[in-house]
Amino acid sequence: MNEEARAILQRVLRRLPSRKTQSTLRAWGCLSAQQLEDLDYTQPKWLLLENLISKCEESRLHLKDVTKLDMVYHIENPNQGTWHAFKLTEAEDEALSVDFTQFKEMFVAHLEEVVQHVSIRIKKLEDGAVWIRIAWGDNFTKPNHLKPTYAVHYLQTPYVFILNLAAKHKPFVYQALVLSTRHVSINEAHLTGRSLTAMRDLLMKQYQQVFPNQERTLKERNAPPSHPNIDKEHAEFAERTHQMACEAFGDGTVPKLETAVYKLETRYRGSNNNTLSDRDELFRGVVRFSSPNLLESLRHCVSTGMAEGPVTPLLSSITQKGRNYFVIAEKVPGATSQTPAHKT
Amino acid sequence: MALLAPYSKIPELNTATILLVENEEKVQSKLADAIVQREKDVNVNVRLACKLPLPVENSETRPRVDLVVFIVNLLSERSLQVVENSLNHLRSDFFLGKVCFMVTDARCGALAQERLLSVKKLAASHRCPVICAEHQTEDGISMAASRLLTVLKVSAGLSPVATTALYLSTLTRCTVPSELDED
Amino acid sequence: MANVSNLPGLASDASRELLESSSSGLNSRSLRVAENVRKKGETNQFQLALSYLSNVQEGTVVRGNDELERNLVVVETVALCHGLPPDAISLLLDLALSLRAGGVTCLRILKFLIPASVVPQEAIVRCVSWLCVGKMTINAQVLFLRWVLTVFDLIDCKDQLRSIYGFIFSFVTEENLCPFICHLLYLLTMKEHVQPYRVRKLMDIQAKMGRQPFLMQLLAVYKVFRPELVTLSVPSRMRTGFKNYNSTWKAALSAVQKKNRPEVMADLNLSVELKGKSTSRKRKLHHLEVPGLNSAFGTNSERKVFRLQELRSFTQLLQNIHNIELPAQMGSLLGSSLALHYLDCVQDESAFLRLNFWLGHSLQEEFLLCPEDGGSDSLSEASAFLSTILSSQQFLQEGFFSTESFLYKFLSVWDGSLLRSQILDLLSHIPLMSSHYIRMLVFEPLIQLYFTSNVFFKCSVIECLNSMLLKWLTWHSVNPLMECLDLSVNSSTVTMTLSGFIDTVTELVSFVGRLATEGLRLENCHILLLNHTLNFYETVCDMLVKYGLPLVVMPPAGVFYPALLATDSLTVDRLGYIMYRYRKNLTLAKKQEQQNEQAFHISRTTYQDFNKQLVAMVSCLWNSKSFLPGTNNEIDEHLLIQSKVPKYWSRFDLVHHPAFFKYAIEFHQKCWPERTCVDLASIKVGRYWSWYMEFLFCQGFDGLNDFIQVNTGQGSSSSSS
Repeated sequence: MNEEARAILQRVLRRLPSRKTQSTLRAWGCLSAQQLEDLDYTQPKWLLLENLISKCEESRLHLKDVTKLDMVYHIENPNQGTWHAFKLTEAEDEALSVDFTQFKEMFVAHLEEVVQHVSIRIKKLEDGAVWIRIAWGDNFTKPNHLKPTYAVHYLQTPYVFILNLAAKHKPFVYQALVLSTRHVSINEAHLTGRSLTAMRDLLMKQYQQVFPNQERTLKERNAPPSHPNIDKEHAEFAERTHQMACEAFGDGTVPKLETAVYKLETRYRGSNNNTLSDRDELFRGVVRFSSPNLLESLRHCVSTGMAEGPVTPLLSSITQKGRNYFVIAEKVPGATSQTPAHKT
Repeated sequence: MALLAPYSKIPELNTATILLVENEEKVQSKLADAIVQREKDVNVNVRLACKLPLPVENSETRPRVDLVVFIVNLLSERSLQVVENSLNHLRSDFFLGKVCFMVTDARCGALAQERLLSVKKLAASHRCPVICAEHQTEDGISMAASRLLTVLKVSAGLSPVATTALYLSTLTRCTVPSELDED
Repeated sequence: MANVSNLPGLASDASRELLESSSSGLNSRSLRVAENVRKKGETNQFQLALSYLSNVQEGTVVRGNDELERNLVVVETVALCHGLPPDAISLLLDLALSLRAGGVTCLRILKFLIPASVVPQEAIVRCVSWLCVGKMTINAQVLFLRWVLTVFDLIDCKDQLRSIYGFIFSFVTEENLCPFICHLLYLLTMKEHVQPYRVRKLMDIQAKMGRQPFLMQLLAVYKVFRPELVTLSVPSRMRTGFKNYNSTWKAALSAVQKKNRPEVMADLNLSVELKGKSTSRKRKLHHLEVPGLNSAFGTNSERKVFRLQELRSFTQLLQNIHNIELPAQMGSLLGSSLALHYLDCVQDESAFLRLNFWLGHSLQEEFLLCPEDGGSDSLSEASAFLSTILSSQQFLQEGFFSTESFLYKFLSVWDGSLLRSQILDLLSHIPLMSSHYIRMLVFEPLIQLYFTSNVFFKCSVIECLNSMLLKWLTWHSVNPLMECLDLSVNSSTVTMTLSGFIDTVTELVSFVGRLATEGLRLENCHILLLNHTLNFYETVCDMLVKYGLPLVVMPPAGVFYPALLATDSLTVDRLGYIMYRYRKNLTLAKKQEQQNEQAFHISRTTYQDFNKQLVAMVSCLWNSKSFLPGTNNEIDEHLLIQSKVPKYWSRFDLVHHPAFFKYAIEFHQKCWPERTCVDLASIKVGRYWSWYMEFLFCQGFDGLNDFIQVNTGQGSSSSSS
C-alpha cells in the first residue's frame, strides 16, 4: 500500500455514507468475508480507515485493487459530479457487430498508443453499460488516480457519457472511442446533468412517452369529481392541457434533469426601450431554468395552467432532441417573443 | 362571446349553485369537497372552472349560478391576471352581490401583500367582498367553505330572513384601505 | 471516547489546571496538563486533543494533516454532544481567530463552538483584538460576530466588553460587518457610550448606506439614552431591524442546553414563574431558539450588575432594582413574572423599545411573512406564544404597541379561524385611539369577517368588543378627573381629550349596534347572539353610573324589539334589567345637569329614544297595548287582521308573551286547580294580577322586577327588601 493507494482509499471512504460502507466494500470483493466482518463500521471514519488499511495490507492489495474500489463507488453512485453526453455519428458497417472484448481491446490499444502513461480499467455491467475508468499521466508522470475520467458507453448505441474530462485529454478519448466503436466522428450532445440514469433515459427514450393518439389512458387518469354535486366546467380543457404537457415532457416519472440553459444571441425586441432595440449588435443573454426535477416542474406548470399552452418548441425540444443547452440565434423566428414563465 | 348571466335561468327548488374559478386548481377541489360535505340542508352544486368564459357546450346542463368565487393565489401573478380577464365575462348584474373574491397565501411575504392590495382594489371597484383563506390546514378550508356558504345562501335567496345579496354585499364589500400614515 | 460519559467532571478538572498554568507559556502548560492526565492513568482523549490544539503553531500544514483532523474531530464530537467548558472555548477561539491552523479550520472551529455553560468575556475581548489585526477573511469575521450574537446571553459578564465599546464601534465602517456590529452595539450600549461623534459617524454611514433597519435600531437606542443628540426622527413603530443570526448553532445549542438543563433546573426552583413552567417560553419556532433566561451558570462575585436571569425572588428584585442588566433577547422577559414586575416598575424606555422591537419582529415573521407550511405543531406553538403575550399584557395591564400594530395588519389577512381565541383576546386589549383610526384599522376588516362568518364567530366578535369597551371604561374610571387624558401607551404617547374618548366609545357602541342589528336579522335572532348583544348593552347602559362617563347610548330598534319579543324569558328579563339601568343613568345625568353646568350633555334625543322604548315596553308587557295605533310599535291594522291572531294587542303582555306563557299556565293551574279549560285572561283580573307578578318575580326575574317596580310602582316585596 503506497501513499497514493491510501489517499484514494481515504477519499472513497470519506465520501461513502456510513450505512453504505459495508455493502460497497463487499461489492468491491477484494477483502474476505471474515475481514469484512472484523471491521467495525460504527467507528469514526479516520479510525475505520486505519483498520481498513491494515486489512488491505494483510491481503496484499495494491493500487490496482484500490482503483477498483473507486470504480465500484462511482458505479454505485452515478449521481456525483456533472456528466456530459456525447453522440457518435456516421456508424460504419461493422459498428453493429462490435462486442465487448473487441471494444475493450481496441479502446485500450488506441489510447495507450497515443498516451504513454495511462491506466485504464473497463468493466461491463449487467445492464449493458460499459464503464471505463481512465487515470491520466503524461510523458514524465505516472497516472494520477485522484483525478480519473469516467466514461459510460452502451454498446451499439451512439451515446457516451463522460465525467471529469479535461480539455487536453478530449482528443485522445474521442479518437479511441470513435475507432473502437467503428464510427467516423463524435460530437457533444449538449446535454449535461448530475444524474447519469436520467440522461440515459432521456436520450434512449426510456421513459413513459405519450403520443397524440394515446388519449384513452389519460382520460382514465383524470379522475371524475368526488361528489355528484361537483362538476368540472373545464374538464375537457384540463384533459387537453394535461395531454399536451405529457406529450411534451412525458408521463409518469420523468428523467431528472436539473437545468436547461438557453443562450440568446438575438436582437432586443422591446417596444419601450429605444437605446436597446436600436442597436445593431446582438443582445446577448442567458436564460437558465433550474429545478430539482426540471421536466416535472415544466409539466406541472403546463398541466395546471400556470403557463399558457401550447408548449413552446423551445421547451419541448428538451425531450424531443434530448438536449438541455440551446443557442438561440437571430434567425430562429420569434425566438425572443417566447419568454416562458421562469420556474425554479 | 356570451356573458354569464345570473338570472337567465329559473332557480331550482332548495338548490344553490356556486362557481369556483381558480387558475391552478390548487384550492378549488379541496374547497368544493368541503362545501358539499358541510351543507346538509340545501342542495349545493359546485362548478369548478379554471377561467371565464365557461365552455359553451356546458351551458345547457349548467344550473343557474348564484355565486361566482374568484380564487386568487397571491403567490402567483398569473392567477391574478386570469381573474382580471375573467371579470369581463360576467354580466354586470352579477356584481349586485353575487361575486366574491377569495385569496390564499395572504400571509406569505411582502409580494403577497402587494398583490393583496391590488386584489382589494379590484374587489372594491366591483363592490365585492374579499375573503382570506388558509388553504394549508383542514380548519382553514372548512372555515372558508362555511363563509362561502353563508354568502351563497343569501345570494341564492335561501336565507330564512328576507335578506338580499345586494343588501349583504353593502355590508361585506371590500373597502380599499386608505394610505395610512404608518411608517 | 470512553470517557465521554463522565466528561463534565473531568473537563472542569482539567480546565482548572489549564487556568493555573495560564501564566506559564503555552507549551509547558499543555505539556504539564498532558503529563498530569497521563499520571492519573486516564486516557482522556478530549484533554489530549485540547492540549494538542493549543500547541498548534503558526504555519502548521493543514491539508492532509490527519493528526490535526483527528484531534479536531474529538473536540468537535464533545462540543456537539456536551458543549465546551469555558476555557476550552477560550482556547479554541484563540486558535481559530489567530489563524494558526488556517482559515478553513477557523471557520470549522467557529461552527462547533457550542458553550456548555458560559463564555468567558476575556476570550471575546481577545478575539476583538484579533479582529483588529485584520487578517481574517470577511466570511470568518461575519461568522465570528454571528457567533458572538448567538451566545451573547452566555457571556459571563459584559463590563470589559463595554469598556472596549469604542474598538467595536470602529468596525461600523466595514460595510459587510455593519449589520452585525450594529446589533452587538445595540446590545452593549449604555448611556455613557452615546457620544456626539458616534452619532455623527452613524449619521454619515446612514447617508451612505440609506436608512438601513439595523442603523435605525441602533440610533433609536441612542435616541432613547440621549434624545438631544439624535435629531433624526425615529419612527416609533419600526417594522424590522436585526435579523436572527443563530441558524448555524441553533440546533446544537438547544440540544446541549436541553441536556444540561436538569442540573440547572435544580437551582431555579425558587424563581417565581408565571404559570409554573420554569422554562422560559420564548419562541421555539422557525428561527428563534435563543439562549434564554434559564441558562444561568456560576456567579461571579465581583460583578456589579445583576443579570435578570439570576433573580430568584421578589426581594432580590427589590434589592437590585437599580442595577439590573437586561437579557439580550428581550423576548425571554415575557416568560417570567419577576421580569415583568421589573418591566412594570422601571420606566426604562429602552427596555420597552427593545421588547417591542423583538415582539414586532417575531410576530411579523411568524404570522405575516410565514413560509408555506401549516404544520399543526407550529400552530400550537404559535398559539402558546400568543397566549404568553396575552398573559404578559394582562399582567402589565397594558398592551405592547408592536402587538397592536401587528394585529391591525393581521386582521386584514385573517381568515377568521386561525388562532381565533388568541387573536380576539389580543384585540380586546388594544388601547384607545381616535374614532377615525379605529374605524379604519379595526372595524372595517372586522365587519367583512363578521358578516361572512357563522353565528359563533359573530358572538365571539361581540364578546371581544364588549371586553374592549369594558377595558376602556375601567381605564377611564381610574383616571376620571383629568379633562385631558394622557394615554401613555408604552413609549408612544397619545393624548386624547375627553370628547375624543367619548367619540371613540360612541363609535364603538354604534358599531356594535350595527353588527348586532344586522347579525340578528341574518341569524334569525339567534338566542346566543342575542344574549351576547345584551351582555354588551349591559355594559353600555351603565357607563355613567359605574364608570363616570357622561354618555348614554340607547340600543337600536333592531336589538330592542328582538329582545322584547324573544321567546325565552331570560332575554326579556335581561332587557328589563338593562332598561332599568338606563333609567338610573339618565336620572343621574339629569340631576348632574341641573346641579352644575356640565360640559357634556346627554342629548335630548337620547331621552326621547329611551322614553319611546320604555313606553313600548310597558304598553306591551303591562298594558296589553302592543301594536296599537299611538304606541311606538304600531303596525298597520290590516296586516294584523290578516294574520288572524285574535286580540293581537294582548299577545305580548306578561301573561301571553311566549316567554312567560309557561309561567302563566303554571300559575293558572295553581290558582284554579279544578278548572279544566285554561282561561289566561282571568289572571289579569284584580289581585290575581299582583299575585301573578309576585309569582313571576319569585322565579328569579329580578331584572323584570326592577323594571316594573321603577316604572309602574309595582313590585314584589321579596326583591324590594
